[in-house]
Amino acid sequence: MLSSAQFAIEQRRRTGRIGVRLFIVSETMFFAALFFAWYYLGVTSNSAWPPDGVARPLLAPAVLNTALTLISAVTMWLASRSIGRDDQRGLVFWMAASVVCAVVFMAVQTQEFRELAYIAQGSSYGSLFLFLLFFHAVRVFVGVVLMLIVLVRASMHQLNARRRLLVDATVMYWYFIVAVWLAVFTVLYVL
Amino acid sequence: MASISIPVRSQDKAKSGLLGWLATVDHKKVGLMYMVMAFVFFIGSGLLALIIRTQLAAPGMTLVDPNTYNQIFTMHGTGMIFLFTIPMLVGGFGNYFLPIMIGARDVAFPRLNAFSFWITLGAGLVMSIAFLVGDRSAAAWTAYVPLSTSTYSPQSGMDIWLLGLILAGIGSTLGAVNFMVTIFTMRAPGMTAWRIPMFVWAMATTAVMVLLATPVLTAALVMLVADRNFSTQFFTTSNARLWQHMFWFYSHPAVYIMVLPAMGVVSEVLPVFSRKPLFGAKAVVISTALIGILGFTTWVHHMFVSGVSPAIERFFIFTTMVIAVPTGVKMFNWIFTMWGGSLNLKTPLLMCIGFLSTFVIGGITGVIQAAGPVDSYLHNSYWVVAHFHYVLFGGSVFGIFAGLYYWAPKMVGRMFDDKLGKLHFVLMFFGFNLTFFPMHILGLEGMPRRIATYAGDRGWAAGNLVATIGAFTIALSILVFIINLVKIARSKEAAPADPWEGNTLEWMIPSPPPEYNFAVIPTVQSDRPALDARNGGVTPAAHH
Ligand SMILES: [Cu+2]
Repeated sequence: MLSSAQFAIEQRRRTGRIGVRLFIVSETMFFAALFFAWYYLGVTSNSAWPPDGVARPLLAPAVLNTALTLISAVTMWLASRSIGRDDQRGLVFWMAASVVCAVVFMAVQTQEFRELAYIAQGSSYGSLFLFLLFFHAVRVFVGVVLMLIVLVRASMHQLNARRRLLVDATVMYWYFIVAVWLAVFTVLYVL
Repeated sequence: MASISIPVRSQDKAKSGLLGWLATVDHKKVGLMYMVMAFVFFIGSGLLALIIRTQLAAPGMTLVDPNTYNQIFTMHGTGMIFLFTIPMLVGGFGNYFLPIMIGARDVAFPRLNAFSFWITLGAGLVMSIAFLVGDRSAAAWTAYVPLSTSTYSPQSGMDIWLLGLILAGIGSTLGAVNFMVTIFTMRAPGMTAWRIPMFVWAMATTAVMVLLATPVLTAALVMLVADRNFSTQFFTTSNARLWQHMFWFYSHPAVYIMVLPAMGVVSEVLPVFSRKPLFGAKAVVISTALIGILGFTTWVHHMFVSGVSPAIERFFIFTTMVIAVPTGVKMFNWIFTMWGGSLNLKTPLLMCIGFLSTFVIGGITGVIQAAGPVDSYLHNSYWVVAHFHYVLFGGSVFGIFAGLYYWAPKMVGRMFDDKLGKLHFVLMFFGFNLTFFPMHILGLEGMPRRIATYAGDRGWAAGNLVATIGAFTIALSILVFIINLVKIARSKEAAPADPWEGNTLEWMIPSPPPEYNFAVIPTVQSDRPALDARNGGVTPAAHH
């Protein structure tokens, strides 16, 4: 039997997880709208898509970032597994590993923005390209902030196998960010 | 009878005074703040409408110059939609009554809820600043490109307005998450799906629509801001229809975001004031959900004259006509609820009858203009202005006043003056029809919407004069309502817990409710728990 305090924590976790899922639904609609714009303009534009004279951005940095993203998904999963086992050191280790992946990702992305800034002003194609990258990057930044909060709270021993809503929320939101990147990579670079 | 008693948390104790309001996370206080804010914007946007009607009362009037006129109707529209109707129904009624009606002590995330309110109020202030700064003008509430681009709206008013709208969207999205989690997780024991009150069902559907539609508008607004300030190229002239798609993907569902909660109010008031169960309650729930789904399939009917392929046009004509079916089902549910009931002809019921009789006209004109060829004649004429006011005033505003009179005793703990309420209804009902019915004819006669004035030889003078008289009659009715509010504030007559012999849980707690709502969380055994409590047990379902 759970004590009433444990029951309240369990209840809060359940409530919070549903809230995070619904928030992710609204986030998904935001990106869906941008992808809709991408296809709508791609289909209806009279000129080529990408337009003549606009070179497709380099594939190599995006492939690197895809690899980082996939690794971070695994490290996040391991962090989530660690807290389920009340393994504090595992949680901190894997969460820190995720932060490293995300920070390297953002460094690569910053370099990309420097080189791509020109295409935003030239065409709808370039504008949407940069917009999708930018708003994904904003989410990565939010994700890193959440991870850092988890690390601080974990180092203060405020998280455990039951008191873990913050970790759950961070992990769920990060999976969403991973999924958005895979969609961005596929649509912008591969297709 | 099993019941769960959870101790009332001590930090829930109310702080008194102004700080108590500013720092509150109590859903009832947050709801009341939404209502006050919405009512202030209702008065402001209504005064703007009076300027519009004064200008158009006779041909060739020059009360305001055309540029100011454009700003006034733009601000009237955005104010009424984003700062009055949605905050009043969703933020106000939703916050105050949704938790009580499901037997909860608050929403799932009370602090987030208060945050949503302050962000919405901020949005209202930012949009008002945009109006005062000016040059938000040429683009109307739809902000069509290229009118809204930096070429044609070069000044900062447009950017500030867009920022305000983005804020309003964030506030309502967070609110929708909160409501959905609350309904999922915080229902009283025994409140199964078919025992959830109709208003809560309506709010649930509304929340889903807000959650799915609003981010699309947010994306479009952010893109427009970037076009205006960072030289991106989303909405170039050749891409103008992209804005229309993204805008209407939100703004058609927004009609239901404004109408479904009002329908929910009507579905609560009619059974109580007819002293009968709601006729075909399941059909009402299912048609609400159907409207929620179909509402996302009709947005292109706003774009028939913008150039869409015939196949796409046919599809959207079809969906637009189909969505009238669940609405029609509800009309029959409501009529058969009243049929044979012993009607308690008080103001809330009259407001509902006003809702039914005007909303049905808005529904019918909607089906008429759904046909593409008809639409290409009526598009951007006063017919359209008549149509959407029959939907949004005839529907939402009558629903709002039905709810305000129905729940006023619960919220403030005093009774309103029913005679004044009836006067309010009569003036508003006739004023409304005087204002907006002639606009159908003006539209058929070719009067375009959004014109600042017109020549005397067009034959539009009589219809416009009647509409203006109607508008001032509505204003008079609102004045009567305000007098009633003052009388309520001064009244010594305390409202009983259950003045109407209601069905739902809010009538089982004191008026006004204590901070924690329920001293003991009730156990629900039917869809009419308050009736059960009065009868000392579950009431067998009545036959109709
Ligand atoms: Cu529509």
